[in-house]
Order: sequence, then structure tokens, then C-alpha cells
Amino acid sequence: MKLRIALITILCIGLVCAVSMLGSRTYAQGDRVGSSNPKITVLNPMGTPPPITLIPQAPRLDTLDGKTIYLINTGYIGTDRFMDETAQWFKANYPKTNVVYKDNQSGAGLSSLSNDLWAEIAEKGDAVIAGLGH
Amino acid sequence: MKKPAVPVVMHDFEKQEKEVTLNLGMPGLRIQYFRGPVWGKTNEQIRKQIMEGNNPITGRPVMRELVENLTKPLTAEEQKTGEIRKNVGPDMYTGTPDELQKLFLEKRYTDFLPVVLPTEEKVAEMLKATSHEPDEVLGRMNPGSEAGENWTYTVKDAAINAVMAGAEPEYFPVILALGSTGMTAVNVSDNGFMAGAVINGGIRDEIGLNYEEGAVGPYAHANTTIGRAWSLLSINGGNCGKVGTTYMGTIGNPMNLIGIIIAENEEKSPFKPLSVRRGFKEGENIVTLFMGWGILSAKNWAATAWGPNMNYPAIIKEIYNTQDGWLFGTCAVLSPPIADFVRDAGYDTVEKFTEWVTGLKPGAKPVVGGNLNSGIRRAGGTFTVIVTGGSNNNYFSMGGMVPARSAQIDAWR
Repeated sequence: MKLRIALITILCIGLVCAVSMLGSRTYAQGDRVGSSNPKITVLNPMGTPPPITLIPQAPRLDTLDGKTIYLINTGYIGTDRFMDETAQWFKANYPKTNVVYKDNQSGAGLSSLSNDLWAEIAEKGDAVIAGLGH
Repeated sequence: MKKPAVPVVMHDFEKQEKEVTLNLGMPGLRIQYFRGPVWGKTNEQIRKQIMEGNNPITGRPVMRELVENLTKPLTAEEQKTGEIRKNVGPDMYTGTPDELQKLFLEKRYTDFLPVVLPTEEKVAEMLKATSHEPDEVLGRMNPGSEAGENWTYTVKDAAINAVMAGAEPEYFPVILALGSTGMTAVNVSDNGFMAGAVINGGIRDEIGLNYEEGAVGPYAHANTTIGRAWSLLSINGGNCGKVGTTYMGTIGNPMNLIGIIIAENEEKSPFKPLSVRRGFKEGENIVTLFMGWGILSAKNWAATAWGPNMNYPAIIKEIYNTQDGWLFGTCAVLSPPIADFVRDAGYDTVEKFTEWVTGLKPGAKPVVGGNLNSGIRRAGGTFTVIVTGGSNNNYFSMGGMVPARSAQIDAWR
């Protein structure tokens, strides 16, 4: 008997909760019960990108012979081996090209390369191959 | 410099590189793609698998293309000048709620869950919660590292995203404080970083932030929707979190679903609140942003094997010493009972405990940084303690999260 009363009580509580939840349901804007789902206007959530100024690429070399190419390891793990192999490849296939290998000592990524290195490339280099690794 | 330069990049990053080079004003920059990663490969593997192979995108030999990229004359397109601006669409959209939900999903305005559609009325209601002008620039954000451009967003943009997240207007000053820092909740890194924030001050009770059981999870409306608003503002205001361009997490991070919002349990903590330890006044409403790998139950470490006698300070120290502290240090999120164990062991301030755990004098910084090829420099790194959660058992979480900027919430009321 006690069990039956307990079950009835639980069912009643459940019914009250269900009715209560139905009553408190909220709807999306314009989505009224019985309506024809009218149109609404909403705002674009995007921010504003900055303007982009186009930069022309630097003129290419007519030949690699006699030119100095800087191989830049920007500092990610494994790039040192990749650049080492790249230097060997140029030595074997373009023996008249001077290859200079530079290791990023101050972090990882192009932005962490030192100003001194960029100045050196500007003064002594003809082209750059920058290895981003991974 | 005006010297020809060719970045050498894994082909998996092609979509992102197109976006980055466009942002930098060189949309057709010549990039040499190869099949990576190189990390972990021997010289011989690199030579045979990568350099003697083809560019996976063009199907042509990698090294031949590399030489051509340095020597082949430029096209007219590659020499273009002028100014362009990305189109972010109209200010408003009109449609049925179902149509707009679909449109927002397709345009990737959402976190792939339905949003509260941001009508002018709802946005205006949100804006009433601050004295700041709708058109005021709230912040500038990029996805992190060198990958992105700085997008600008206004107070109104933040309100639109807060509405979409389901936030209540009374949460808005917290959302604005988060947005004012310009820190993204969704970092681009292939590491899969997460972001979180710790909130201190009376605002925790004022807006109903949960700092008892379930404190670091999605178990309260305020914690959940504030974190979601920060994520949506990052996705839309800062153009972050777009896979392939502004998001590159190799595995991803489940903690990116929403920014993790942690209210400290100041009432039950034996220590000064985090904000006070960072120099703010007691009771001041402060949000402190975190970034890192995330946190995980400390139970995952062997040091916490269950037993009748638990030396929690020693366990925390042992876990600290097994962390790679290079980027984000170590973060301990302690429940009040664990914090009490620490205090009862004689460490009545976080500073004393930190000195013992790290072996560093107050103010001294762990040796970190340098070239990645030189290896990991110090276990543990910085050490941060946050106290939150319930008192129903002796649990805590550990991981890598480092505090970044703090912002005053009341400045955004």
C-alpha cells in the first residue's frame, strides 16, 4: 500500500513538473505558437577587418649562378635538418650558387628573426628561402 | 628589402597561407609547399620523402618548383598595387528564424549550436547594461601568432554576440571586460590552445556565477553564456576559429567550445583571491584571462593514487615537476578542501606554497624560452593557484594555463 501511494505521489509530482515546464517554454523571436513563422531582421555579428594594401612581389633572379641565397631556419623543430638537406641539394645541383644557412636563435617564426639578420640579408643576399618547419 | 623570398611550408597549411598572404597584402605570394611534417624525421627521411618528392598540391617536383619560384618572372597579378577590403556582408539579414539559424550556421557565425537570433530589440536591451556608446571600439583581435590580421569590434558588436550566446544583460560588463583585452578565446595554434578566465569580486554573486560543485564546467547560466559570448566574439569580432585559416589545431581542444569561466570560491579559500595576488583591491570585480593547454583532473597522474594518507602539497609539487613548463607553466585548480590541506601543511599563503613548489624565490622567473631545437629548459615553469569548486571531496585539477591580462569589470558598466 505504502509503495502504491509513493508511486502515485511520484507520478503526480512528475505531471506537475511537466505542466510547469510546458508553461515556461520560451520561443525564438517571431516563432509564436499558431503563427505563420513571420520574418524578422537580425544584425550581422562580424567585426571589421582592416584595409589591405597590396604589395608587389620582389623581382625574380634571372639565374642562381653567382648569387647568394640565404636559407633561414625560423626555429621550429626539425627545420634545421630540412635546411641542412636543402643546402646540400643546392651544393650538388647549383655549385655556382653561394648558400648561407642561418638559424633563428631567438624563438620560432619569422617575426622573431633579429633585425641584424634582416640587415645582413639586405646587404649580402640575393634571395631568401625561409623554412617554417613542422 | 626587395629580394625574392620563398617561404617553404607544409601543404596542409595552404588554405591558411592564402589567408595570411592576403592579409599581408601579397595574395599571390609564391610559397613552396611540401609534404610534412619534418619534425621527428631523419635527414635521410627528409631527403627521400620530402625533397625528392612532389608538391602534393601541384604534383610537380618540390626542388624544381622551388628554383622556379626564385627565377620565373613575375606575372602582372603578382605586381599589383592598391587597396582592398574584405567583405563581411550586410549590416542586417531578414528571414524566418529557421532561415536565419541556417544562414548563421552556413556563414560560420556560430559555434555550430543554435543561437539566440540578435534582433535590434534584444541587442538594444543588452546595450542598456553599459554606459559605453555602441560605436565605441571595444578591442582589436587576431587569432594569435603571425597568422592573422587585427580585426576591430565595437561595443555593439559585442552586444550582438552576447545576445547570440544567450547571455543576460547583467553579464554584459564581464563580456565587455573580456573583449576589451583583445585576447582571443580560440587561438590559431596547431597545438590546440584553450583560453579561460578567472573572475573575482562581488560580481560573482551579483550575476549568479557558480563557484561550488561543477565550478569549471558548464553548470550555470552565467559561466556558460559568458564563456560562449567570448568565444562567439572571437569567432565573429576577431575572425578567429575558422578551421584551415584562423584555426589550425592538429587535434583540437574540447575546451574551445566555450571560453572556460572560473569564479574563484573566495569564501571558502584559505588564500587571498587571485586578483588581490595580482595587485588589485580586495572586493574589486576583476577578470583575469588565461591561456594554455587546459586542465585535467589531477587523478590522471600516478602521484594521486588513492590511499589512506594523502600528502597533497607533495603531490602537487610532484605533478609540477613533471610538467613541461615552457609555454604555459603549471596551473593548480584546487577545491577548498585541497587548499585547506595546503594551508594546514604550513603554507598559509599562495606565495609561500609557490616558493616551496617551484624552488624559486618570490618574483624570480623560471628559465624558459630560447630556440626550440635546444630542447625543453625547465619543468613546471610558472605556478598559478586557483581555488574553486565544492567541498564534497578532495579533488583538484592540474594542467598548463598561464595568467595573461586582467581587466576591471566595473569600468564596463
